[in-house]
Amino acid sequence: MTQIKEVTVGDSLAVKKPARLSPLGFFMALPPVLVILVFIGGPILIAFAFSLGFTTGPNRIVSLIGQEIYPKTNWWGTFDAYKSVFTDSRFAGNIKATLEITFVATALVIILALGMAIYQRIIGGRLAAILMALSLVPLFVPVVIAAFAIRTFYDGTGFFKTIFYHFGINFPTLTMTNNAVTIGVIWTSLPFAILMISSGLQSVPNALIESAQDAGAGIMRIIATIMIPLAFVPIVIATTFTAIGIMGSFTIPYFLGANQPTMLGVEISNFFGPYNRPQHSIVMAFIIFAAASGIAFFYIWANIRSAKQSGRI
Amino acid sequence: MFKNLLKKKLISAITFSTVAALSLGISAPSSQAASTTIRLYVSADTNILDLWEKTLVPAFNKEYPQYDVKVTFDRNGANDAQTLAKITAAVATKRDPGIDLIDGGMTTTLGTSGLLFPLTGNLLPNLKMVPKVLVTNGKGGIPYRASTVLMAYNSKNVKTPPKSLADVLTWIKANPGKFTYNAPSGGGSGYSFVQTVLDSQLSASEVQKLQTAADKETQAKWNKGWEILRGLNKFTYGQNGTYPTNNAGTLDLLAKGLVDLAPVWSDQIASAIKAGTMPKDIKYYGISGPSLTGGPAFLGIPATGKNRSAARFLVNWVLSPAAQNLIVSGSMNGIPVIPASKLDPVIGATVSDINIAAIRSPYLSPNAADLRTAWAAEVPGK
Repeated sequence: MTQIKEVTVGDSLAVKKPARLSPLGFFMALPPVLVILVFIGGPILIAFAFSLGFTTGPNRIVSLIGQEIYPKTNWWGTFDAYKSVFTDSRFAGNIKATLEITFVATALVIILALGMAIYQRIIGGRLAAILMALSLVPLFVPVVIAAFAIRTFYDGTGFFKTIFYHFGINFPTLTMTNNAVTIGVIWTSLPFAILMISSGLQSVPNALIESAQDAGAGIMRIIATIMIPLAFVPIVIATTFTAIGIMGSFTIPYFLGANQPTMLGVEISNFFGPYNRPQHSIVMAFIIFAAASGIAFFYIWANIRSAKQSGRI
Repeated sequence: MFKNLLKKKLISAITFSTVAALSLGISAPSSQAASTTIRLYVSADTNILDLWEKTLVPAFNKEYPQYDVKVTFDRNGANDAQTLAKITAAVATKRDPGIDLIDGGMTTTLGTSGLLFPLTGNLLPNLKMVPKVLVTNGKGGIPYRASTVLMAYNSKNVKTPPKSLADVLTWIKANPGKFTYNAPSGGGSGYSFVQTVLDSQLSASEVQKLQTAADKETQAKWNKGWEILRGLNKFTYGQNGTYPTNNAGTLDLLAKGLVDLAPVWSDQIASAIKAGTMPKDIKYYGISGPSLTGGPAFLGIPATGKNRSAARFLVNWVLSPAAQNLIVSGSMNGIPVIPASKLDPVIGATVSDINIAAIRSPYLSPNAADLRTAWAAEVPGK
């Protein structure tokens, strides 16, 4: 044991100081890890086993109540429940809607947040400060309230519909469409992205921007070659968090979306409750989980990149 | 196989006689010790909570102060799945589920799974006044009030509302965008309209099959009904195959004047008009051929509840004419489960033309769940 330690220390001596193995540090990190293992990891494992058809033990009650439960056929389980979800006529439409809304809304959120943050960083002033404060308001409005307000605003007796009616124009009713969902999720995700990106841009040193200006660089060039690359990590973090949040949203699509196709968050709740097919809803939850993990990969990659740049790894 | 069956029969006979013997011992409620707590779990909309908290419980306590009714409320049954799991687990392990009496949609599911305390007319004297069909459909749940789905219309725009289902379907196509019903997964009024359209394409015996047992074979005959419903997509509100999420969504469109005709719950529309949240122009009526569904709400006593005999006493009181009067006349606007002739004559007159045994009942819960998921796959956005 000691020998191995010596070897590692010797190897990495030139690069960095050896990490001290402190038992205190280990015990300080233990409580959150334990909480996650017991209260989150455990249920996830049990749910995963249920999705594979393990219907005994902790899954016995839910299997008694649920309909169309596929019990395991091999020692390792079965993929029948997954097959059933993938072959469901609604699934393709639902996943398409989920990915489309996630992609379009995330792209728009990042573009809007970048615009806001760049405006504040380069031009600044009182107006920028007021706009910035206003843009953070959605952060303090509960999502349910926001969803209901947006619904009232865009529905058949809503603001636009009424205004345009006076000019003889029939403005489309946006509620019950996935466009309304996109508007809704942009509204709720914008503040976090603006906070994240503007703080990233604030940390770009003034000296760099000024020297670029002295060298004759235009604003667009400064933004493209100095500001965005230097704030790259916060931008990636804002993008991944926004995308993951949107992908798993429930309240907004539930209040504003069409019945079908709908986002997977709503469909999971439908299958769990009214359709009484808990196994299907768990399968869909794992599909979202897999998709979100794909996005989270970029988050981890960005973190590693920034750690490398600052010399932590 | 046969042996197993015999064994099962024997066991059920033994359980039955034990239960009967037990209940004989405790059938005199007046001998109860002072202050027994009845833990009532209400899993429904707020109007049902008001019915219990503001009307029934105070009246019950006035007569029987020795009982203490503790109400737990779960709005719109949001936690039904967990509660169901809790009760199922408690009964399976013969422990107290922490609930003595349930008012909610899950009661029939519990009854079908054999998790309710079995009740007969001997144990609940007042149950004898309730039509037998309702009691049989409860599968152990006790019917205590009823409501039905009706058609509501805006009398300002609709002078002669369509009287039969066929007329309703014609009306919808003649008045594009002026009718809607909510997604069956979100509320019973939309569910009822969907089931009624499906039923109109089935024989009476097929409908009865779906009301009494899980039946995938008969479900295959829903196809004609789905086609009719798909055909409405272009003519319902929005005209793009989208439907309101829940009962409240339908009522909202009706109140704003965006639709002129929609299926609604009898108690919800009556209460909304009384409260002024629905314009006075909105009127409601029943359609025929077939009629929209409805039916009783069931109370359930979990088999292993600690105070189940006290709960039974409360249930018996709820079925008494005094309590049924309150259900009909109060803010609830419910339909009584006992004959109108037993009620107060003035109150009874308001409901005397409703034949509760003739209200078409919804499908058994597994079929109802299948209907909800099939509707979502077959109708919206097609």
